[in-house]
Amino acid sequence: MNNPVTSIKLVLLGEVAVGKSSIVLRFVSNDFAENKEPTIGAAFLTQRVNINEHTIKFEIWDTAGQERFASLAPMYYRNAQAALVVYDVTKPQSFIKARHWVKELHEQASKDIIIALVGNKIDMLDEDPTERKVAREEGEKLAQEENLLFFETSAKTGANVNEVFLKIGENVPLKQAADGSNNGSGLNVRRDNGWIWQTRLIQPRKPLTVAAESLVVLITKVHISFPERFRTEYGGVAAWAVNLCKTVSWNQP
Amino acid sequence: MKSWKISGSPHKGQAAGGATGGIAARSSSADGNFDAMSKQQAAAISGPRKQHSALQGYSPLRYMPPSRSASNDSNALLKQSRRSSHSNNRPTGGANAGHSASTTSFTTDGSGKYFQDLDEDWSAVIDDYNMPIPVYLNGGSAGTADSLSRASTHSYPQLPNLTGTGSGSRGTPGPAVVPETRTPTEIAQERDVQELNSMMARITKFNALLSSKHILNVKELRQLSWNGIPKPNRPKVWKLLIGYLPANTKRHESFLQRKRKEYRDGITHTFDEQNHQRDIPTWHQIEIDLPRTNPSIPLYQFKSVQHSLQKILYLWAIRHPASGYVQGINDLVTPFYQIFLTEYLPASQIDEVANRDPAMYMSEEQTVQLEADTFWCLTKLLEQITDNYIHGQPGILKQVKNLSQLVKRIDADLYDHFTNEHVEFIQFAFRWMNCLLMREFEMDVVIRMWDTYLAETSQDSSVGGATTGASAGADLSAPTTPAQRTVSTFQTPPSKIRTEATVGASPSSPLSVRSFSATTAVTKTTASGAGSDDASGTRQSSSLNEFHVFVCAAFLIKWSDQLCGMDFQEIITFLQNPPTKDWRESDIEMLLSEAYIWQSLYKDATSHWL
Ligand SMILES: Nc1nc2c(ncn2[C@@H]2O[C@H](COP(=O)(O)OP(=O)(O)O)[C@@H](O)[C@H]2O)c(=O)[nH]1
Ligand SMILES: [Mg+2]
Repeated sequence: MNNPVTSIKLVLLGEVAVGKSSIVLRFVSNDFAENKEPTIGAAFLTQRVNINEHTIKFEIWDTAGQERFASLAPMYYRNAQAALVVYDVTKPQSFIKARHWVKELHEQASKDIIIALVGNKIDMLDEDPTERKVAREEGEKLAQEENLLFFETSAKTGANVNEVFLKIGENVPLKQAADGSNNGSGLNVRRDNGWIWQTRLIQPRKPLTVAAESLVVLITKVHISFPERFRTEYGGVAAWAVNLCKTVSWNQP
Repeated sequence: MKSWKISGSPHKGQAAGGATGGIAARSSSADGNFDAMSKQQAAAISGPRKQHSALQGYSPLRYMPPSRSASNDSNALLKQSRRSSHSNNRPTGGANAGHSASTTSFTTDGSGKYFQDLDEDWSAVIDDYNMPIPVYLNGGSAGTADSLSRASTHSYPQLPNLTGTGSGSRGTPGPAVVPETRTPTEIAQERDVQELNSMMARITKFNALLSSKHILNVKELRQLSWNGIPKPNRPKVWKLLIGYLPANTKRHESFLQRKRKEYRDGITHTFDEQNHQRDIPTWHQIEIDLPRTNPSIPLYQFKSVQHSLQKILYLWAIRHPASGYVQGINDLVTPFYQIFLTEYLPASQIDEVANRDPAMYMSEEQTVQLEADTFWCLTKLLEQITDNYIHGQPGILKQVKNLSQLVKRIDADLYDHFTNEHVEFIQFAFRWMNCLLMREFEMDVVIRMWDTYLAETSQDSSVGGATTGASAGADLSAPTTPAQRTVSTFQTPPSKIRTEATVGASPSSPLSVRSFSATTAVTKTTASGAGSDDASGTRQSSSLNEFHVFVCAAFLIKWSDQLCGMDFQEIITFLQNPPTKDWRESDIEMLLSEAYIWQSLYKDATSHWL
């Protein structure tokens, strides 16, 4: 894989349970879960795709849809180069919500963000066409007005899902990305220093005074209240506590 | 100078770390017995106190050495396990492999430089910082010296100087060189028997406590429960710990009747179409979320269960409009539901609870009882953490911030690495706070974790037995605001900052800080109607959000070594899917214990944070 790699930061927004996480799961793992746990906060996933000699790496933040979590969304779309605004074609309410997200993105997100409007769960129309509550034309119209890409998908069957991402990949200006894999040199220095807690705790601090009495109280406390079961196994940790209170500075700024 | 010794141990000298070892007690305690020590020290600080009850009936002999520790070359083994703890994602070989490995540096020569003592006072008290805290060995029933030696080998997995590996320079032969004469199978069998015995002993203790005819000793229950509650006792103990059931057993019957009726009335009212305007979006949201709550556990796929939970969650949501239903609460209700459900199964089938449809064995009346108990306990739990779910979720934001400050303090490397990689704590820790780490662990582990959470963090009001009933009697129609714990871990009233400022200068200041809080604790306990004895200073319960942050810190730092070698993507991906699938109770107990230590160390001493 010596193709040039471009990273695209992409965020998914949309009402709860429209299938955002399912779309990502389909794209990243080509999988579908009937009962996917609701996303809390946000979830991060990545996927690489080759488009015309180029490798595009999608770095995806899948946000939680519930209103209560909405205040977190700006953190995720602020630096995004692309956004999927998803609604459920069987839920008119979710389309209203999608309009809101588009508006918010236009107002708050980066100016040249690429937005795709995605109507999901079209597989449900196969069984019963009357399930459709948001006409395709409605979506197309909004997309045209707001200058969005538009797709109707099914995360369940996989229909059209990859196409959304490919299209976005084609539209994001290809910039030569720095090789993302940093080799992390300099980080492994302390690998062989034994107990990592200890070294990490102690190295950066200069030992300071902690009164002997407080130490004894501390040990008494730690030891007495220690889970009965672990008292033996944990004798060592308590000893470590002794080290700690000896060497950690409580009072450094 | 006296060394602390292991009472009843036939090898005092070694246990105390040999000639140079030993935490010399300033105490003049005649035999150096730790208990005497601790009592004396504690007494000096917070007045007379009884011996801690948790010390009774303690048998370390449950922990026989795993067969690998029978090897003569434990040094090599330690190195080996250190390597494995560095390369593996999770602790191997049970609870202590990771730590047994990591502590070896205590005795390596190179580590000496970390322990330079700059303070004269110190040398007067401690001549070997690597000295372990003495533990009780139950010499009486131990049998041969041989088995004792082995028990002690295993007692200090982190302290090779006790096992002989680090003691070469001191010329003390370590017990680890005692050849193992039994086969691994025998050892395993013996261990099983011991496990079983100690489990029976625990159950007996719980039963004895719970069968009290009058006021239950909730405080003792709390201490016992910290270490895990036997399955058959769990429903009742949880209800007591969380402050739902009153400590006065005579009132249990009438109390439950009243609360169940209240719940039933609440439901009737709420689902009465004439009188109540259904909050459709909330109802829908809950309805959507239930089928995908604990999707891997069959229990939650049964319609009857989803129906019960939907009523409970909906009723809670409309009774708490400032918060309303927030995703994650659907997770939090399930441990209560599942545990209380076991009350309706014969003891032999408790383990089947996750697979059986309650509709098959519960009457309608029982279903309402179960729902009511679950509802009230959920209410109690959420009372403690309402700030997590109100607008803007300030409770969670604050916890995430505290977590980052804590990690900055105790693991600067990790913190810096996160900063360099642009990893923000909220990106992974939000869910940890919002769901109390429930998404990170399997249900069995979560339940064990809750034993400790409920024991550690429940409201003060339930500490004193006499007041429990009153606090549990909160009226359904008037949802109580959480009893605010004003002393937050990381925030300090200005007056205290001044106290802190002097700590560095005067060696005795920490003591005054400590004794100050110990006194406070005693006062508090007395005020709430319970006698001020042993635990008031040491087992002061903390708030849920506080303790949880320490658990999260322990959890994060557990993976520190790996995380420091990862880039942004790998870090986030790792933390979203931590390798905890096959964690067992012992793993979570280890984590909780670590959290407890962090809390002991940082709770008071760093109260000037933020
Ligand atoms: N029939 C159908 N169901 C879907 C589809 N996508 C998602 N779902 C279901 O809708 C529910 C919510 O999906 P999820 O991905 O969690 O939605 P999110 O809240 O937007 O992330 C889950 O039960 C999914 O199984 C789809 O394309 N078709
Ligand atoms: Mg989702």
